[in-house]
Amino acid sequence: MHNTDRIEYDIALVGGSPSNLSLAHTLLEKAKANPDLKFSIAILEKAKDFGSHIVSGAVVNPSIFNKVYPNHVADNMPIEAICNKSYFSIMGTEKKWDVPSLITRAAAPDFCKEGYYILTLSQVVSWMAKQLMEKVKDVPNVKIDFFPGFAATEVVYEAEKVVGVKVDRTGNDQDDILYAKLTCFGDKGFLSKDIIKKFNLETNPQIWSVGVKETWKLAEHSEDLKGKVWHTLGYPTLDGTLGGGFIYGLQNKRLTIGLVISLDSENPNIHPQKQLQEYKKHPWLQKVLEGAELMHYGAAVLPEGGYASLPKKFQVDGAIFLGDALGLLDVKSLAGVDKAIESGYLAAKVAYGAVAADDFSEARLSKYQTKLLESPYMDKFKENRYFRKAFGENPELLRDYLPTVLESVDKTGSPYIGSVKLGLENPVKRAKAALRAAQLLNNAKELKEEVTYKAGYLHIDPDFDKDLIARCASDKDFAKNTVYNREDAVFYANTHYDEHPDHIDEFSAETCLSCIQRYEAKNLDVPCVSDCTAEVHRLDISDNNVKVHGMSLENCVQCRTCELVCPEQNLRVNPSYAGSGPDFIGL
Amino acid sequence: MNNKDLDIYVLIKQVPDTRSKAGVNPDGTIDRAKAGKMLNPFDAYALQAALNAKKMGGPNSKVTAVTMGPPPAIDILYQALEHGADNTLMLSDRRLAASDTLATSYALCQTLEYAFKQNGRPGDLIFCGLQTTDGDTAQVGPEISERLDFTQITYCEDFSISDNEVHAKKIIEGGTQLVKAQLPSLITIANSYQKLKFKTLRGAQFVQDIKRSSKEEQAKFVEIIDLDACHAEELRCGLAGSPTIVSKTWKIGVVGGNCKMHQGKSVPDLVGEVVQGLPILEEFVKI
Repeated sequence: MHNTDRIEYDIALVGGSPSNLSLAHTLLEKAKANPDLKFSIAILEKAKDFGSHIVSGAVVNPSIFNKVYPNHVADNMPIEAICNKSYFSIMGTEKKWDVPSLITRAAAPDFCKEGYYILTLSQVVSWMAKQLMEKVKDVPNVKIDFFPGFAATEVVYEAEKVVGVKVDRTGNDQDDILYAKLTCFGDKGFLSKDIIKKFNLETNPQIWSVGVKETWKLAEHSEDLKGKVWHTLGYPTLDGTLGGGFIYGLQNKRLTIGLVISLDSENPNIHPQKQLQEYKKHPWLQKVLEGAELMHYGAAVLPEGGYASLPKKFQVDGAIFLGDALGLLDVKSLAGVDKAIESGYLAAKVAYGAVAADDFSEARLSKYQTKLLESPYMDKFKENRYFRKAFGENPELLRDYLPTVLESVDKTGSPYIGSVKLGLENPVKRAKAALRAAQLLNNAKELKEEVTYKAGYLHIDPDFDKDLIARCASDKDFAKNTVYNREDAVFYANTHYDEHPDHIDEFSAETCLSCIQRYEAKNLDVPCVSDCTAEVHRLDISDNNVKVHGMSLENCVQCRTCELVCPEQNLRVNPSYAGSGPDFIGL
Repeated sequence: MNNKDLDIYVLIKQVPDTRSKAGVNPDGTIDRAKAGKMLNPFDAYALQAALNAKKMGGPNSKVTAVTMGPPPAIDILYQALEHGADNTLMLSDRRLAASDTLATSYALCQTLEYAFKQNGRPGDLIFCGLQTTDGDTAQVGPEISERLDFTQITYCEDFSISDNEVHAKKIIEGGTQLVKAQLPSLITIANSYQKLKFKTLRGAQFVQDIKRSSKEEQAKFVEIIDLDACHAEELRCGLAGSPTIVSKTWKIGVVGGNCKMHQGKSVPDLVGEVVQGLPILEEFVKI
C-alpha cells in the first residue's frame, strides 16, 4: 500500500495550539469561497489528543472569539464562566487586601476582567480541533490530516528554506519527514527557537516564567465562586522575583489556583510547585479550600519578554511563527490567547494568498508581520512593553518595597501605612522611583526608550541570600489535604509514557558534575532539581560516591523549566514520542 | 537477508475495553454493545511480530490483518493499517454471534482460505495473540493451525526467519525452548515479545486518506466479507456450531471497593497510616 514518494502537504501546522487551530479554521472559511483552489493541511500535535498538553489560565477577551469564531456560542465552545467580578489583591502572609476597584480601574485597568471568558484552554483547544474535523467535511477542496501523537522533532531545510519537519523515527527519511510548502510554528519554542537562532532573528532574549496550576473541586456547601477572578501579588513570592497568583472560579464548583513565577529570578531555587503549596496555606485560601478536593495539576512555561522580545522577523522562507513561538503573551495584562488566535487569523489570510499564488517566499509572507503589528490586539501589547523594564531597572520594587507593603497589610489590613512609611524613609528617592515606575507601567505610549534584557541565564553565580527564601516558609495551621508534595502532585498531571522516555538531552555529564559541586559548595540546590515542577531531576550517588544528575523522565510534564533554568544550558527538552506525557484535559 | 517475499497474516480481535465495565446478557454472554472497545492487548504483540516479520522477508512481503466481528470492529483494522499493515480483511456476519472457539477457528479458517485464494497462493505465516482478554481460551490460534495444517509455535517470545524456516524461542514451563519449524507456520506471540510501536506517520496519513475515499477505494484495503463469500457452512458457525455451553454467568461482586488513598505525607507517616489496625503488618513494620 505504501508509496515511496514524499509525505507532502501545502501547509504543515506544528503544534495543535490555539494559534494554529484558528489558522486552519480561518483558512477553511476562506477556502469555501473558492472551491477551485485545492490545498492540503497537516496538523501535528505532540499530545495523544488535541488539548492534552495545553495548560493556561485562562481569562480571555471574548472579542477575539466573536471575530474568529462568530458562532462559538451556538457551536458549544466550552466556557467555564463569564467573569462577573475581578479583584487585584495584595497577599500578606496573614491577610489579603483587595485593591478597591476604583483604584484598580485607574491604576491597573489591565486587571479588570469583568465580561471576559474564564476558560479551561485544554478543553477549548480540544473543541477547536473537533470543530475543524467536522467542518472540513463540508469543504471538499481542502484536505486536513490530523496527527495527534506526532511531534515534530527537527526542522528540515533545503537551501536556507524551511521545507518541513522531521516527525517519525523509522530511520527512513522518506517515511519520517513531513514536507510542506509552508510550515507554521505555533509551538512553545521547542523547535521555533532553532529557526530563530539559525537566521539570527533574536532581538532581546526571551524571558520565560513558569506557571504551576491546580484545579480543585470545592466542597458542596461552600460558596459558589463561579465567575470570580483574583490576581494576587505578594505571598508567597517574596524573594524579589516577579510573580503572582491567580484564582478563577469555574462552573460546577471548581476552582483554578495557580502561580506564575519568572525564571529570570536571581534566586536559583524557585521551587514553583512548592511555592504553589505555600500559596494555598494562606488563611484566606485555606478557608476557600475547606473540604475541597484536588482534581488536576500541571505546569507550563510562558514567554514573558513581550513586545521587546519579538523576533526581528515573524517569517522566513517557507515558515511563519505564531502564538507562543513569537511570544505574544502580554504579562502585564495577563493576556496571550487573544493575540495567539489573532496571529492565526491573520496568518491564514496571508497563507491563503500564498497558496493561491504558489509563492511561499519570505517576501510574500512578510505581509503577515505587517498585518500582525498593525492589529488592534497588538496596541496594548506595545503599550505595555516597559513592564519588565520597570521591575528590571528597579529591583527594590519587589525586593524591598513589596515586603514592607505586605507587612502593613498583615498588621493593619491595608498597605497604606507601609506605603507612607516607605515614602518617609527617603521621600525624594521613593517619589522618583514611584513616578518612574508609574510612567513605565502606565504611561509608556510616548516613551521611546530601548529595552534590553539580560542575555540568557548562562553561568549565573549561585550567590543568593538564603534569608530571602526563608521568608516564603509558612508554619501556620493548614489542612494537610490542601497541600501536596511534588511526588504526589505528579499523579494529578496524569503523565503516561509508553516507550522508555528519552526526550530530555543532557549534553555533558561533566558539566552537570561541576554544576552540582558549585551549588553544593554554596549550600544551595541545583536549579534543575529545585525548579522541576514534576519530580524529574534528581541527584544520584554514583559508584564512586559522587553526586550525579539523574532523571525520572516518566514523571515529566514537559514544561521545559529545567532547560531554561539550567545555568550551564546543558539540557534540552524535546517533544516526546507517541503522544506520551501529561494529560491536562480539564486543567 | 535474501529471503523470499512473505505473505503474512495476523489475526486480531476487538474486545471490550479493559478499563470500562462490560455488562452480561441474560444468556450469560458478554453485552458487547455497552462496553468501550479496544484492540485485544495480546494481539498488539502479534501485530508487531507480523510487522517485524515483514522486514525479514523479501521487498514485496506484505502483512494482512484479519478479524472477525461486528461492523464496529473495522476500527482495529484501520488501527492495523496505521501501524503499517498493508491490507485488511474482516469477516462480519450476524450468523456468527455466540461462536465458541471451535466455530471461531472454523470461520477464521474459511476466511484465511478465502484470502489465500484471492491472493493466488497460501500464506507463509500467521501470527496470533496468545489469547483474548474477553475469552481467555488461547485455543483459537492452535485450532486454526491444525485446520490449515500449518506448523505451530506457541508462546513465542522471539523469532527469526531464514530460507523456509522459522527459528523461535518459546516459553515452556520452567524455561525457554528453541525450536525450528517449516513454513507455512502459525505462531502465537507471548506478551513478553516487543510492545507494539506507535503508529507510523505514513500509516496515519494513509488511513485518513482512505477514510475520505470512495467505498470502492476503501474496499481495496479494508475488505468486508460474510459467511457466503468464504463458503462457510452456517451450521458450523455461531451458536449452532458451538458445542460449548455456557450454563451460567454471574457477577463476582465489586472488586476493590474500599480503596483508600494515602498521600501527601512522608514515607514513614504513610507506612504508619497504612499498617494502622492491621496487626500482622504492624508486627512486620516493628521488625
